[in-house]
Amino acid sequence: MEGRLANSWRLTVNDKNFIKTALLSEIRIDGRKPFEYRKISIKFGREDGSSEVQLGQTRVMGMVTAQLVQPYRDRPKEGILSIFTEFSPMADPSFEPGRPGELAVELGRIIDRGLRESRAVDTESLCILASKFVWAIRIDLHILDNGGNLVDAANIAALAALLTFRRPECSLGGEDGQEVIVHPPEIREPLPLTVHHLPIAISFGFFSNESILVIDPTHNEEAVMGGRMTTTVNANGDICAIQKSGGEGVPQRVIMQCLQLATSKAASITKQIKDAVEVVNTERALRKVKRHPTSTGVDVREKQN
Amino acid sequence: MENKQSSSPASFVDSTVVPGDVVLDLSSMTNQTIKLGGGLRQDCDAISATKAGTLRFSKPNKYWIESSQKRYVPCVEDTILGIVVDSKADNFLIDIKGPAMGFLPVLAFEGGTRRNIPKFEVGTLLYLRVVKANFGMNPELSCTDASGKAAEFGPLKDGYMFETSTGLSRKLLSSPACPVLEALGKKLSFEIAVGLNGRVWVNAASPDTIVVVANAIMNSECLSGAQQIIMLYDLMDSLVVVLLRETKK
Repeated sequence: MEGRLANSWRLTVNDKNFIKTALLSEIRIDGRKPFEYRKISIKFGREDGSSEVQLGQTRVMGMVTAQLVQPYRDRPKEGILSIFTEFSPMADPSFEPGRPGELAVELGRIIDRGLRESRAVDTESLCILASKFVWAIRIDLHILDNGGNLVDAANIAALAALLTFRRPECSLGGEDGQEVIVHPPEIREPLPLTVHHLPIAISFGFFSNESILVIDPTHNEEAVMGGRMTTTVNANGDICAIQKSGGEGVPQRVIMQCLQLATSKAASITKQIKDAVEVVNTERALRKVKRHPTSTGVDVREKQN
Repeated sequence: MENKQSSSPASFVDSTVVPGDVVLDLSSMTNQTIKLGGGLRQDCDAISATKAGTLRFSKPNKYWIESSQKRYVPCVEDTILGIVVDSKADNFLIDIKGPAMGFLPVLAFEGGTRRNIPKFEVGTLLYLRVVKANFGMNPELSCTDASGKAAEFGPLKDGYMFETSTGLSRKLLSSPACPVLEALGKKLSFEIAVGLNGRVWVNAASPDTIVVVANAIMNSECLSGAQQIIMLYDLMDSLVVVLLRETKK
């Protein structure tokens, strides 16, 4: 019991009071203003569909993979989208390995709702042969470091991974056209997913005194805040989802204020994701050009006189 | 492999050593009392390193190995900042960022008797001294100095505590003063307590000052002296705002 006590992270009484008093003067402990987001850095791995997002100290890695499966019986012409979250114990002393806890399930659910309900990913284009073969897209989110606001970072990681993922091209063949042939990437260029819009999750924290509001709470602020709300909006101004699970009540005008703030932040974050994805795509296209075996290597040696 | 004990101690001071290096040979130093700090172990006449880091020497006779980590290994006579986790009949359980909880006896206060045991709620920040730190046992702490006086030990009120590496907290306590602290002290007035276990507490009149000081110290971790001053010049804009606000009050 003592060993477990020794390893958990604690907040002192001084810190709790200081965070609250500093917020009364609109100061946050990392020097940000209440409505300022942390710096987002989006990086990509070697494979298609892997991304790593860093939001301040929070780090999340996203991986997208696809598999051919049989569709659900009530949706024979649609592909399947599923999200799995893994809260690695190296991210936070309170994360235990094994079954996902409440926080992990909630995070997965928020991102899932943002992508599925708003139809951001076109699942009908994932259907190859109705009722027989569809693509099942699986998004794995690994939390590597918990610096606060995991939902937003995980959402950006999922979107970045989806935008850079390429699925193999397949065509129908066989005697009666019922067989599916999956072409390897060297023969036919893999295809990107159809993503209509990018739903961005923006999280807010509420504090008890005089309904103070902050955007993008850090780890310390999350331990002190009275309630949290996550709104998923896109750059067009559509509200895709809102999640407010428990915590203290807030008046309606505060919610409207949050939605307005979220819409303006979503535009800048969408632009950042798209720019990063474009850089990676051009880089990958250039790399693929060199793969073509049209030019054979020539050994150039210095002529020795 | 023969143990080469002929190397002079001066050659190892301020250089990097790894566990197993024999850094001092006592047979060549007679009639001297040497104090061994953290990371050194005595095997008969040979002093060997048990930690990787830089060997340091301070006059007149103290040797220790310095390395910077996030985790703290308790060492006797260190001054640290601990957080109260629980209170038992005889001890308070204190979290000191080490492998085991520290025990603070309820009587280890100036004028402490069974009748006036202080009541600390969970989460109180204390400035403490390490009395005993043996491997495998919980370290024993105290809120008095060696002669029994209070001497600034005890609970810290208000302010803000943040965590750093052990190397940075040692730099902040070194003399001559660390460039960051000197430059900050010239412009701002604040109170600071540094624990060798990688915790720093700052208090000032206005929250702006506290935030600026905390961020400046956290950013100075990897910077050299000159870079720290440059980093502070960048923070000067916010410092000017802070000064204007302070003069208005």
